Amino acid sequence: MKDHAAPALPLRAPETVLRLARMGQMMPTRLSFLRVLVRQLCAERAKVRRIHWDMCDDGFGQAAYAIDLGGHTYSLVAISNDLPADQRSDRVIATAWDAAFVLFDGIATPDEIARIAAQAPKQEAGRFGPRDLVLSRANKSVRMWDATVAALKAGQQPDPQMIRDIGYLMRTTAVYGNGKFGIADRYLIADRPGLDGPFAAEMLAVYLIRHFTLDLVQHVGGVPLDPTLARHLGIGNATGLGMAPFLVNHPVLLHNWIQARETALARVLARRTMTEAQKDRLSTLSHRAQKHLADWHVPAEDHNAILRQLETDWAAFLPQIETATTFAALWDAAAGQTDTLQELLTALLIELCPEDVDDLAHEMADRHGPLSVPFADTDAVKSAIETHWGWALHCDYTNADNCRRFWYVSAAKLEPRLGDRFAEPGAELETPLDIARRVAQLHADLPDAAHPVSAFTETYPQHALAISRVALLNRYPYAEIRDNLIAATCRPIDMLRCKLSYFGATKFDPKSDLWTRITLAQGAPLGDELRPEMDDWWLPVMER
Amino acid sequence: MSWTEVQTLGVKAASGAGVPPAQALAFGAMLARHVADDGPQDAVKTALADPKRIVALAHRVETIVEAASVAAKPVAAVEEDAGTRAMLVSWLAGLPCKADLDVVGPKLRVRLALTEPSTRGRPERLYLTPELADQLNALAAKTYVPDSDASREGGAGAGLMELD
Repeated sequence: MKDHAAPALPLRAPETVLRLARMGQMMPTRLSFLRVLVRQLCAERAKVRRIHWDMCDDGFGQAAYAIDLGGHTYSLVAISNDLPADQRSDRVIATAWDAAFVLFDGIATPDEIARIAAQAPKQEAGRFGPRDLVLSRANKSVRMWDATVAALKAGQQPDPQMIRDIGYLMRTTAVYGNGKFGIADRYLIADRPGLDGPFAAEMLAVYLIRHFTLDLVQHVGGVPLDPTLARHLGIGNATGLGMAPFLVNHPVLLHNWIQARETALARVLARRTMTEAQKDRLSTLSHRAQKHLADWHVPAEDHNAILRQLETDWAAFLPQIETATTFAALWDAAAGQTDTLQELLTALLIELCPEDVDDLAHEMADRHGPLSVPFADTDAVKSAIETHWGWALHCDYTNADNCRRFWYVSAAKLEPRLGDRFAEPGAELETPLDIARRVAQLHADLPDAAHPVSAFTETYPQHALAISRVALLNRYPYAEIRDNLIAATCRPIDMLRCKLSYFGATKFDPKSDLWTRITLAQGAPLGDELRPEMDDWWLPVMER
Repeated sequence: MSWTEVQTLGVKAASGAGVPPAQALAFGAMLARHVADDGPQDAVKTALADPKRIVALAHRVETIVEAASVAAKPVAAVEEDAGTRAMLVSWLAGLPCKADLDVVGPKLRVRLALTEPSTRGRPERLYLTPELADQLNALAAKTYVPDSDASREGGAGAGLMELD
């Protein structure tokens, strides 16, 4: 029987959680999608099986792997290319990659492998079918790859410090799901056990890609990797702006993700007591976090300064963790700390109480789309805006810096980009991510006397989007980022960090305000280690 | 094509035709439902050629949803034009909520359960006529901003990039 007072404590307010500055500090948790997927694989004691291998000594050719999950079998088909160094680019405008992948629904037959081998290297220019679930590609970390191959060929193991510093052999530069380029729509698999969570198919592909990179390097090196080293090699990812608008364009998903995490935190904080086992675990994980931070250095000076401050602050906070008698007291002790430390503590507390948390993973998908109810009249719209959107109203959008940015889709790659409204062409084709400004404009145009909303939108059809967002927020309080996304100060990297933390990303390595590298699956059990006791890789550390 | 491809293309095409964002989003959902249910694709072509028709259709759906929100009884509507009627049906059937539709000649009876999710199935593949696909792609292209040096270097987030 649970001893927590199920969600009796109020959740943190959306106005606290959904500020970009805080979203930009979020950490992976046991509700992160890769964690959830690997936990399920561990529960099922799944095994990765190599079902096809046609690879030259240098590691170029084709491979396929199969894995069972929730009563279904899935295959990863991998195509490894001999890519000239001058063609290797992480940018979305690249046209060739070291490796291309498709997660396939079922056992991939030789015919299917041949079809995928012809299409996958083309990526966005290829065409795919409803049994292709995910499309991806990756480039080698040439430094890590070459060093690992050289060490293995010499009968040695790669340098552990290099593995700590880099953390992966390859990094993906896109992981496409949900109908892109003809692959299966998500609804075709959304009811399957194990794939019912958000991005679960994409995470399965990522996990299997990581397995492939380890398999491939051992093939080329000719010697097995030490499992401790192999486990600390995750899979990298380079992510740019394309991911940022997702959080705005999928408000119900954003709500579900944030609400699940906040509910988890509230449940843990509602526990009246801390068991001895929980105290031990709290101590172990808090010290592991300290070591993880010590291993986490990035070249960007501003981001590294935040990390170093967190490392210092966390070290100073450890005695309070060690002496805490309740979770709530520990949380209260962090009240005056930075957002960065509070978000790390949030992830730690969620990690400690799986029995309070893990069921929430089933509430993070959006199966239906928004189910909001229309307003009774324009006065109800006005009241809702004045109640929930004060942050949007208290902004002068005639100030150039408050509307300097505009989001758009580039003709070259059909990818989201961000421009300067006053310096670049294209603002007339702006993507409607300026939700705050739109709601403020709606508020200004609402009539003094109540009218039916449909009568208002007949005159002002351009306000229908803002009205729908206001209605959404009435039902889904965590559906909206509480910041002006067209302000000169808007940093898309904060949106990326939030979303990637929900994927389970670690070792965020921002390269600018617009893109970042991350590591996924570092510390995750290997393909033959998927057992329940192996689900212990939150903020992984490879001991010295 | 996948459902997502058709829906996304529909949103972009409506935007490219000059339809405001909320109505364009709803048009995309309508288009996928319409194609899935074998609705007449010529009617969509006609509507895209005159975006005011799309805005008017969106407004009509809004009034039906509004009426459904204040009374549990079915909402009645009449639409004499067969193409517009088919799109109206697809629009309502494509709503995320449960929608029971009864169509007899030009008359529609609509019962919406606004907080209950739709249970309509979706097929694996959708098929657009080449003519409609061409029109959708041409309109969608109007929403894209041509590349410039500034956008390539600054807007995409990648300036100098080291590879390791």
